[in-house]
Formats: sequence, C-alpha cells, structure tokens
Amino acid sequence: MTAHHPLRFRLTTAKTIIFCLAILNALSLAAIYSSLHEGGSFTAQGLFYKEIVWMIISWLFLLFFSFVNYRIYYDLAYFFYIFNIILLFIVGRFGKTAMGATRWINIAGFNFQPSEVAKIAIIFLLARFFSFQGKRGFLKDFLVPLVLVGFSSLIILKQPDLGTALILIFLFLLTGFASQVKKRYFVFLLIAGIAAAPFLFNHLKDYQKKRLIVFVNPNADPLGAGYTIIQSKIAVGSGRFFGKGFLSGTQNQFNFLPERHTDFIFTVIGEEGGLLGSLFLILIYWLIINTILKETDRLKDPFAQYLCFAIATLFFLHLFINVGMTLGILPVVGVPFLFMSYGGTHLMASFILAGIFLNICHSE
Amino acid sequence: MNYYFIRRLYIFGLTILVIALFYSQIIRGNYYLERAKNNYVRVIPLRSKRGTIYDRNGLPLAYDNASFNIAVIPCQIKNKKDSLFRELAAALGSDINIILRNYSRELINYFSPIDVAINIDKSKAFQIQEKFKDVLIDPQPRRYYPYPREFSHILGYVKRQDSFYESFKKYGYAPSEYAGVTGIEQYYDSYLKGEDGGNLIEINARGQVVGFLGEQKAHKGQDIYLTIDARWQKIVFDELGGRIGAVIIMDSQSGEIIAMVSSPAFDPNQFLKGKGLAEMRDERHPLLNRAIQSACQMGSTIKPIIALAALQEKKITPASTFICNGTMNLGRASFHCLHTHGAQDLYQGIAHSCNIYFYNVALRLGPDNITKWAKRFRLDAVTDIDLPYEGKGFMPTVEWKERVLKSKWFDGDTCNLAIGQGSSQVTPLENLLAMNVFATSGYLVRPHLFKKVEDTDSGFGERNYLGADIANIDIVKTGLRDVVEGEGGTAHILKELNLKIAGKTGTAQVGPGKSPHGWFLGFFPYDNPRYTFCVFLEHGQSSYIAVKAFKAILKKAREGGIL
Repeated sequence: MTAHHPLRFRLTTAKTIIFCLAILNALSLAAIYSSLHEGGSFTAQGLFYKEIVWMIISWLFLLFFSFVNYRIYYDLAYFFYIFNIILLFIVGRFGKTAMGATRWINIAGFNFQPSEVAKIAIIFLLARFFSFQGKRGFLKDFLVPLVLVGFSSLIILKQPDLGTALILIFLFLLTGFASQVKKRYFVFLLIAGIAAAPFLFNHLKDYQKKRLIVFVNPNADPLGAGYTIIQSKIAVGSGRFFGKGFLSGTQNQFNFLPERHTDFIFTVIGEEGGLLGSLFLILIYWLIINTILKETDRLKDPFAQYLCFAIATLFFLHLFINVGMTLGILPVVGVPFLFMSYGGTHLMASFILAGIFLNICHSE
Repeated sequence: MNYYFIRRLYIFGLTILVIALFYSQIIRGNYYLERAKNNYVRVIPLRSKRGTIYDRNGLPLAYDNASFNIAVIPCQIKNKKDSLFRELAAALGSDINIILRNYSRELINYFSPIDVAINIDKSKAFQIQEKFKDVLIDPQPRRYYPYPREFSHILGYVKRQDSFYESFKKYGYAPSEYAGVTGIEQYYDSYLKGEDGGNLIEINARGQVVGFLGEQKAHKGQDIYLTIDARWQKIVFDELGGRIGAVIIMDSQSGEIIAMVSSPAFDPNQFLKGKGLAEMRDERHPLLNRAIQSACQMGSTIKPIIALAALQEKKITPASTFICNGTMNLGRASFHCLHTHGAQDLYQGIAHSCNIYFYNVALRLGPDNITKWAKRFRLDAVTDIDLPYEGKGFMPTVEWKERVLKSKWFDGDTCNLAIGQGSSQVTPLENLLAMNVFATSGYLVRPHLFKKVEDTDSGFGERNYLGADIANIDIVKTGLRDVVEGEGGTAHILKELNLKIAGKTGTAQVGPGKSPHGWFLGFFPYDNPRYTFCVFLEHGQSSYIAVKAFKAILKKAREGGIL
C-alpha cells in the first residue's frame, strides 16, 4: 500500500476502520449482554436493547459525518468550544445527579453527557491551534490553547469527572508535543503538573481521594472504594489464557462487580475471554489507532493531520486508562471504554469522530 | 507534524498493558482463579443501633429494640423461590406481593440474607423457622417509641434513606440507613445515627460460608437526654385529651423545655410500618406541632407588652387612669370591652384585661412604638429552639399595611393591635418567651430541648437583655400577679392553689361563626419564677377554658408529687 495507488489506499483505510468498528460492536454487545446477567438470569434486558438502538443511531451519525466536509470544523472550532462551555454550565446548574456526580442533562427522555461533547470540541480546537504553520510565540502557541483547554477541564473536574478532565489535559499535551511548538513547554507543564499533584489532591472530592488511596493499597478500604479494584483484578486474572467462556464468568455472573456494564466492561472480556480475548480486543483497537495515525502521512492539510492525530490520541487514552484501571495499574478515575462500555453519548461521540476521519480519508 | 515519537510512546503503553495482562492472567492466573472459584468475598451488612433518647430523669422515650425478621438467602432458594414465598405468605397470613416486593427491593447479591417479612412476632418467627428450613431469623434493630403520642411532635420519627441506599448498592452491599424525620430525631440525627458495619466473609459457589475475613464493627449512635420531664408531659397530654391546642412548660431561668405537647398527636410507630397515611389526611392536622408551627392571634396576651412599652416610652405612669364605660367611639367605628369596668389604672387594666384601658394606652403610644416593642420581644422572629421547621409570627406595621394591603393605617388598627387582634400572629412558643421576659426581669432566654449527649452538657443558656427598666417590668409583673391574686382577676380561680401564679389570659376572636382561641400564659412563683407556661387552645371557646385546663394540670402535678 503506497502512494502509487491512492484510490486503493483510501478504500482500504476506510474499509479497515469500518471492519474494526463492526468487530468492536459485536464484542461490545456480547460483553454487555453477558454483564447484564445475574445469577444466570438476564436481569436488565432493557439496557441491552437500548444499547442496540444506540449502535444503530451511532452508525447513522458515522454515515452523516463522513459526508460533512471536515474543513467546516476549522471555521467552527471556536463556536463549538463556546457552545460546549455553555452546555457544561447548563449541566452544572440544571443537570441530573447520579452517583454523586452531575454529568447528565436530559433531552427528550435521553440522558446526555456534555463532557463527551467537550472531547470533540477540544479536538477541533487543538487541531486548529497546532496546525498553524510557523511560530507565533509562547503566548499564542502554548498559553492560549492551554488556558482554553484548562478552563473546560476545570468545569468538568467540578462535576466531578476527574477522568474526562485528565483526558482533555493529556490530549493537549500529546497533540502539542507532536506539533512544531517547542517541546520544552509541554515537558515543563507535565513536570509542573506532577509537582503540583499533592496540592491538587487536596482539592479533590472525598471519593476521588479514596480512589487514589486505594490505588496504592486496595486493602485500605476493602468494603468501600477498594472493593472494586480487588474484584476487578480477581475477575481479569481468573480468566487466564482461554477465559471462562461466554456467560460463564463467576465474578461477572454472581454480581461481584458493580458498574461492570459501563466503566468495568473490560473485566467481562478479561474474565470470559481470557488473555486471548483481551489481546484480540487490544489488537483491533490498535488497528484503528494505527490506521488513523498512518493516514496522516498521506495528508497535506495540517488541520486534517492534527484532527486525525487527536482522534487517535483520544482513542488511545481511553484504551490505556480504562484497561489500566481495570488491571489495577492506574487509579480508578471513571472513564468509559470507548466503543465497548454501555452508554449512548460516548458511543455516538466516538462514531462521530470515526465519521469525521472517514471524510478526511475521502478528501484530497 | 511528527507523530513517530508519540506512536512509539503508545506502543510502549500498550506493551505495558499486555505485560500487565500477561502477569495477572498467566503468571497469577491460577491464584486469581482460585480466589474466584472458592472464595467469594461477601459483605454481610451489620446495622448499627441508633442512640436512645431519654427524658431529663433517664426515662427512655425512643430506642432501638430487636425486630424479628424472616430472611432468605437468594442462592439457596434459587429454584423454589415462588413456591416458598407462596407457602410463607400463607403461614404468615400476609400478602405474597409484599414478600416479593421486599425481595426484589433488597436484592443486592446472592449471598446476603434478605428480609422478606419484617417485625414478626417472636414466637411466630421461631415457628416459621422450624417449618421452613430455607428461611432464617434475622434480628435487626428497629426504632420503638414507648409513649408514641405523648412525645410525637418532640421526637419525630425515623425513615429509611433511599438515596444513600442506592449509592451503596453498586458496591455490592447496602447498610440500610435510617435518618430522623422531624423533631429531635431529625435535629440531632448526627448524634443519634450510628455507624453501620459489615462482616467480610468468604462464601463458596453454593452459598456456604467458608471463611471469615474481617469485621467492621457497627457502632451505636450516641444517647441523648432531653430537658423534658416525662411526668409533666404525660399529665399535660392527658389533660388536653385530644383537644386541639398546645401546652408548653419551660424552666423560666434556663429556657429548658419541661413539657411541650401539641394536640392532636400522631403515632410515630405507625410511620415506621409505613402506615401513617390516615394521620396525614386528618383534617385536624395531627402532624403539625402547634407549639412552634402554628401562628395565631394573641388576643389579650399582648397587653403586658403594650403596658411595658407605654411605661418605657413614658406615655403613662402606673397611676394613669382611663374610664371604661363599655364602649369607645373612634370616628364611625366603636370598640367594645366585655364589661363596664369604670376607672382603671395599669394594675386593674391588666388584671381585668380591660380593652378600653389598652385602646387609650395604645393610641398614646402609636403603632410604631407598639411594633418596635413587639419586635424587641421577638414576636416576629423564630425562637431558635432546637427543633426543625419552626414557624414564626407576624407583626403588622404602618409601612406594611400601606405597601401590601394598599390601605392607610387607622387608629382602629392601633386599637386592634393593642388587644392582639387583626393581622398580628405569634406561635405559642414565641408568646411564651415574651411572657418569660417578665419572669426573668428583662431577659429573652433560648428555649431548648437538648440537655446532654452522653456526659457532655448541651451548652445552651445564652440570654439576651431586652433593654427595659427593671422598675417598669416589676410594675407590669404586679399587674400579672393581680390577674390571679387580685380582686376580679381573670384567672382568680387559680388563687386557691397557693402557687403564687402570675399570668395573663387571652381570648382571640377569629371571625364570625368560629370559636375563639383561648390563651393562658404566665409563670410561678412570681417572686422567684421557676416555671413559665403557655396554654393555647385552638378554637377553645375562651381563655377561661384554658385557665381551667391549666388548673387541672397543676392539680395533677401536685398529686403526682412533682410540684
């Protein structure tokens, strides 16, 4: 596959993405189907059918966005950003509270999470900023985008949603690092962030602190926050090489794991699919990320390049943080496993991003 | 754009994930499998006991006792659930739907017992357990009020908090949280509430306990003591006998509430069973704590305040005399007195509750001075008693009438204010505190029900100086004494008790066709006041009925040896 056959290349790229997404859908449905069982009976059927509806809607979104010329996002980047800030304020004032966090707003009966929209808005913004060719100095190259990203992640942190806030910051760091802006800014920011961590820790909510404490030592609170980590490690570990088989995970089926259909969906894959299933999933995921990254080689428009890069980075961050926290090598920060976890908004957001990527493939 | 470094970083990150997966699934895989297979870690919640509420003499008024619940363990009854529940319902004589509802509501995991039938008679519970081998008896603490109606408004009740419950459910266990609703149960919930614990046990796939990992002990909540004297409370409650009204008896100097009864009352034990509906729908509003939540016209009980205000503002002297011939004409309106008292000075005016005397005093004083002093007596402010949802009274002002009612203030309004009619309203507790100013020779105390928690005293006891001369207060106090001791005093029937009572009666007209409210407030003994009291009978016909009720209370207290 070389630039000598551009048409063929593009078709293959798009096909690869669509093929991988379909596989992820199938894996996701299987895992959610299994996770909604309890003691052998299918307890929450409604959620399963709802998720199928979400998937169909998501594919329609993908189709739609693959026809929208991606250059429009360059012009609308600031508009989207401000629109999203307003949405986040609305959710802060009138949003629905669940499990101690106010992250949802209800639109026509559907719960909708503006912090997912924030990821898309930030991707547009970063692509626009970093695709600028030439030097504009510290202020415009670094500080302005940092303040804009920092502001929306602060609002999200207040919801409180530590996971998404961190993802936005890392999206900024990684995209910036790949750009022509001086690398030392980003390295310095990372070091400053790590140095300021103990100070920031004191500003977290109690349950977030607890999660970080039990990350170091899950046995510090075995009935509370540490419970999830202990159970999820047992679930994944006990899957061994071949897994226990579909619908046969005891950790899953006997309701040891809370929230296993959402943030902890990987435990179901790990337990029932074993190392084999887990590696297969990670491989498919990497195929998507790598395909998107590779596509930037062909692109001439810097904005398109950064768009692709940021999309791939977002997918990677979700994969790494989510699987990492399931395995106990990262603290539990409450991040969905994109394409896999139950939930409508993040699925739609991911498919919209995939649709945007398909449009970029078709262009030029 | 240079993504190669970042891409290498991502590959590195994924390598870490793969290594971690390999480590936990292959190297440690058998260990985790063993843990998953044999050792199901489970939390069996242990509910804590709530603190006991005692009266001032250590009589328990609210405590947790054991409730015998019938429980099942879901994984043991998996296949025979329906038939078991049907037989259980028949044996208990209850509805199978209640059992099913309890089961599905409480289902958190397959190993923790679920209470399907709650608060079963002890012997019946043991019979059931013998008959069905799959059920077990699960004793749980349950709030109990031994004297439900006497103390209902003071204590409030407890209710399960569903919001807490739901958030714990996702962690696979659910300590059921009970929180106080209204009354002391709500106000001092943080003291009373215990800390739930749990047993961390290991269970195998068949639901048998194979190991014990640890226990987080449940801690009982703290016991609290109230200032209430249950003996007074019961006497007062019995005397009210369901009549609508409220009676408060307070320690004059410290502000400790000795008795506070609102009638009609409700039974908090019924609320625990989820059966309070009839009482919530009752038109007489038994849930309302009339002592602190219902504001009504004061009637003549405002007169001591008018008298003190006039003395303070130097509008009258004790010797100032007004002639009462039964009627006073103000423009086209005429204002009446109950009798034709003739010449009245301040002492007589209070003792006979002469309206004409107070119309004249009020007209000299003017509305602004009256509301100024009414506000100093805090007739329009909450008393800050340690009970939730306290109501407060209202005092009309000239400015308020012009702004809200769009009408000029007339002299007739001043006259109405002087005899506690019109728009002015107070709660019985506010009125009691105003009366107590005379008992303390010029101080507003902070009323409270909380005496101590375990061994720590409450620390209530602040008093606020009202800013009136003691000489003037003593003058009004003499008038209040004459209400009982003087010739023709409106509460003279109390004289024979020899308790040196000072007080003021009041009959508040509430409009045509409705029986007026009866008030009687005061304190005794007047030379060194110990008790301040307030009797309020809603639509109780007249103050005479209130005086009679209080006399009966005092008589019974004497017979009971507490006076």
